Amino acid sequence: MAPKNIVATFRDEANLLKAVTRLKENKVNMLDVYGPFANHDLLKKLTSESKLPYAAVLYGIIAIVSIFGFMYYTSVIDYPIMYGGKPIFSFPPMVVIMFLFCILLTTILTVLTFHGRAMIFPGKPANIIDPSVTDDTFFLVLDQNYNPEEIKEWLKEDGAEEITEKEL
Amino acid sequence: MIASSIRWPMVGAQKSSKDITTELLAPNETKPALWWYIGMGIGTIFLAYGAWAFYMSLSVGLGTWGLTNSVGWGWDIINFVWWIGIGHAGTAFTIFFLVFRQKWAASINRTAEAMTVFAVMCAGIFPLIHMGRPWLAFFIMPYPNTRLLWVNFNSPLFWDVVAISTYLLMSITLWYFGMIPDLATMRDRAKNKISKEIYGFFSMGWDGSMISYNRYETLTRILGGLAAPLVISVHTIVALDFSISVLPGWHATILPPYFFVGAIFSGFAMVLTIMILMRKAFKISDFITEKHLDSIARVLKYGSLVIGLAYAIELFIAWYSGVEYEIYTFFNARASGTFSTAFWIMVFCNAIVPQVFWFKKARRNIAILFTVSILINIGMWFERFIILISSLAEDFLPSSWTDYSPTLVDIGVYVGTFGIFICGMLLFIRYIPIIAINEVKAYKKEGN
Repeated sequence: MAPKNIVATFRDEANLLKAVTRLKENKVNMLDVYGPFANHDLLKKLTSESKLPYAAVLYGIIAIVSIFGFMYYTSVIDYPIMYGGKPIFSFPPMVVIMFLFCILLTTILTVLTFHGRAMIFPGKPANIIDPSVTDDTFFLVLDQNYNPEEIKEWLKEDGAEEITEKEL
Repeated sequence: MIASSIRWPMVGAQKSSKDITTELLAPNETKPALWWYIGMGIGTIFLAYGAWAFYMSLSVGLGTWGLTNSVGWGWDIINFVWWIGIGHAGTAFTIFFLVFRQKWAASINRTAEAMTVFAVMCAGIFPLIHMGRPWLAFFIMPYPNTRLLWVNFNSPLFWDVVAISTYLLMSITLWYFGMIPDLATMRDRAKNKISKEIYGFFSMGWDGSMISYNRYETLTRILGGLAAPLVISVHTIVALDFSISVLPGWHATILPPYFFVGAIFSGFAMVLTIMILMRKAFKISDFITEKHLDSIARVLKYGSLVIGLAYAIELFIAWYSGVEYEIYTFFNARASGTFSTAFWIMVFCNAIVPQVFWFKKARRNIAILFTVSILINIGMWFERFIILISSLAEDFLPSSWTDYSPTLVDIGVYVGTFGIFICGMLLFIRYIPIIAINEVKAYKKEGN
């Protein structure tokens, strides 16, 4: 039988932060916290930095190179037209489109990467821990670990309003 | 948080997360008041007038507009630039919030973004109709058509197409992604099955996981960072549509920064108008406090100073250049001639009236705030009128000088866009939380 999870309920994020700090110091394995909003101190303690910005930079470089290649092909190779005696290959006006296309493609690809990585997409069925999770309650979810009774005691001391065991 | 006298509370009164959810979802969860139906009725009448004008513009042709051989850009482009300017505020607020970490913007950015989305949609309609055959609008996209001819990448008009399309997409993305946790809240509180299904579909199965929040916050910061230069570039490119031409009054290097500041200025004024109305209608003064309105008023004050300086510099450079055409446009046509009434309305509304915000009492007086916000938008409309019409109607050749007045069809297209804007905003406040609930909860204990 798979082990059940310990779920501690908090309404005050300060208490939750205290509990998470203590559990982290004691190297307790926490699975996740579910809550109505992002507490930034909590995010720092609970998660590592997302790699999304690196992906965004990569997409930006790909976008700039590809749109430059496209404009060079269309304006210089495929259909060169001379406008008002200006050179066929003129870099400065291309910068504007390179800049805009970089933002456009980076936005689209970064959003798609987010969907893929966070596995959220329109129409995905919601599997929430409790309806109050999007209202006013935080749920700290833990593995049973090796010392569940001690963990429950800590959680109680740190202000958990309810501690239950659930299979998630 | 470090206690400091310069920090002010994000939420006016002490409220629990539950109170915040209940109060901010009240406009969505209760039946709309009579004013909402009246507003929708007015919006629909405007839309009907706009639909007639649209039909006339397409079936009879652009001859139904007041354009002449000299004034080839009239009400359509004035209103295009006006709406695009208004559309700058939403993303500017989001940037304030995400990039500059101005937490007070959290209460305002949702509505400001909604305003941006509808304003940019309204703006897009004008160049679309101005093409004459909007069903061929795809010709402006870079695709190899039957003549194997590509678009001209050197043209600011093409830059405009790309910039505005990108901006619209970015605005919708920022708006939508910002509301996902709040849509999940609505999903979990929905009482009927259809609402639950719809909010469930759009909330993407959001479960409040902090691991997802971490990625989500990173994503919104990246989008905010990308939107920041985009906002600046959009109105800069709109300004380049004018400044690369050779017309006196248009051919000026000051136009891009001047247009950008004007856009932020008019957009913030429209945000102020809307926030005051919503504050009154929904009794949300604990979330949009006097300090919020005060902050917007301060931005308007500084915007007004920059705009006023730009007007003065334009006049100075015209005189200093010694070019008779420039001198004529600025000193004769605009300041003392055919267009002087519009010019002085512009100066009065944009450069003089907002100076009242130097006084704290004015920044805290709702009636003054509301009046000034309306006057600024009137002034900004006249600014675009002055820039376009005075330069086109009285250019180099007196033989081609002409009068310009809009026709009922011109006015109809403009009124129609108001219909889109009013109906869009009313539907927004009916079905989507008007304030970013999760962000207000996150910052309620912190000061700004």
